[in-house]
Amino acid sequence: MTSSALPAVRVRGASLPSSRWLCSPLSVILLALLVWPGMRLIAESMASDDGGWTLAHYQDLWRLSRLRFALIASILLSIAVAILSTGLCLAPAWLLVRRSFRGKRVLRAIYTLPLSFAGVIVGFLVALMLGRVGFVPILSERLTGIPWLSGAAYGFAGVLIGYLYFEIPRATLTLEAALERVDFRLADVARSLGASRLQAFFWVVLPSLAPALLSTAAVTFSVSLGSFGVVLILDARSFSVLPLEIFMAYLAFPSDRPAAAAMSVTLLAIALLINYGCRLAFEGGGNRGAAVMARA
Amino acid sequence: MQQSWHAPDRLLVGSVSIGLAGLVLLPIVLVVLGAFVPTDRLGLGLEAGEPLVANAEALRYLWRNYGEWLLFSGRVALITIGIALVTAVPAGYVLVQRPFFGSRLLEELVLLPLSLPGIAVSIALLAAYPSERGLTLVVAGHLLYTLPFMLRVVTASLRTRDVAELEAAARTLGASFGQRMLWIVLPQLRQALVVGALLVFAVSWGEFNVSYLLNSGHPQTFPAALYNTYANESLQRSCAATALFLLGLVPALLAIQWFESPDRTVR
Repeated sequence: MTSSALPAVRVRGASLPSSRWLCSPLSVILLALLVWPGMRLIAESMASDDGGWTLAHYQDLWRLSRLRFALIASILLSIAVAILSTGLCLAPAWLLVRRSFRGKRVLRAIYTLPLSFAGVIVGFLVALMLGRVGFVPILSERLTGIPWLSGAAYGFAGVLIGYLYFEIPRATLTLEAALERVDFRLADVARSLGASRLQAFFWVVLPSLAPALLSTAAVTFSVSLGSFGVVLILDARSFSVLPLEIFMAYLAFPSDRPAAAAMSVTLLAIALLINYGCRLAFEGGGNRGAAVMARA
Repeated sequence: MQQSWHAPDRLLVGSVSIGLAGLVLLPIVLVVLGAFVPTDRLGLGLEAGEPLVANAEALRYLWRNYGEWLLFSGRVALITIGIALVTAVPAGYVLVQRPFFGSRLLEELVLLPLSLPGIAVSIALLAAYPSERGLTLVVAGHLLYTLPFMLRVVTASLRTRDVAELEAAARTLGASFGQRMLWIVLPQLRQALVVGALLVFAVSWGEFNVSYLLNSGHPQTFPAALYNTYANESLQRSCAATALFLLGLVPALLAIQWFESPDRTVR
């Protein structure tokens, strides 16, 4: 992307007094707020009580069944949410790109609404809808006499719906940007050569969407991986995720900072692995900017 | 425009889309209504004939108890916008117009936090600056998650509009560096800066993961107040708190849609 700057301008730029110093405030901020804290975090995660070094806090992640469960649950939940939201949001993204209709901007605004909702808000919304006296059970009791889905919020279903809720804008926006770049004439050609509608979709459109689907799944995976507000508010017994364990370890009395740091490093490592893994798999896809915009 | 007759299935696409829109919108409508209804069951639990009296008691209660928190969140957002503008705009200019060895790395580093879990970044900031809890550390956390948007908006705008050419023309006419910035580059970026600032506001306003632990004492950022009301207060007050949150967020989101639209291709 950077290489697209006009060569002529770059030559002229070389003869100018360097303006690179304009980057220094940003660089200083990143060094101070990202690089240095990252190093401090790793140091803290390996601090032992006697002032030496230890890996015990990492071993605890696997030794303590509660933390092991939270780690595995985080990964599996994030995978499930990534697949579900990518699949479901293909529909609205398709609608926004391929159809023209009145009220499209309103519809688009609705999908983007939860973009910067904190997880705790989404948790509250799920409880409001599916709690023991939530909207859905009360309304259905009035209409049919049976309180459908009463208390569903406090189980795995509620957590899953909550996670899905705040991935809707991210998945829709990322896929919308990707669909805009698909060459649909290829599908027209396939149709004219005798392919059925479904054949054209599955054999022509879908393969060209593969990188976009994967990067959307990666975006939604890493957002889900770091999110814990939904579980915090729904207080789902028998369910926990690793970021929530970090939150709890830090707030506990006494605060267990080395444990929180070790869990944080683990979570960061998984997030980085997924992020760079996906980019290596599809290097050169110009979808990164879109993915970034979708993560507000 | 040609209709997409090779869509897998119109009915499926339409119904999933409408279903998702309803899933997003219905709880939000209910929350806003719930802020004015002083019953535990959103008024649905009332016997037939029982009057439903709406009031704004909960909103008044929240303003009394958490008004300062609302203002604190606003202050955090404004400071974050200010710092993001003065750091990301000049850097974005250099990254696009005068790329240098290492500029790719810098851009990567700015975007990096978006793929990192906020809670882990919070713990890292606390490990590095344990004595800075409060406004300073909250702004620091919010900066990490808002700078990517500001930088993206600025670089995208500089790349699409031909600022380089305009600037070169001004230079041949004898305009100094400062003159070119003030009269060419910044005016070209006007819309990008507004959208960037609104994005920063929206992200900062809703941030919980890189906010909660970084706060100290009172007041805290407003999402922390939301957590308090959800945990301790009645349904009406929880709804009212959420409504107040939306009151700050929704205008910003609508403004973003409004300002972005001229750049979007009309379909």
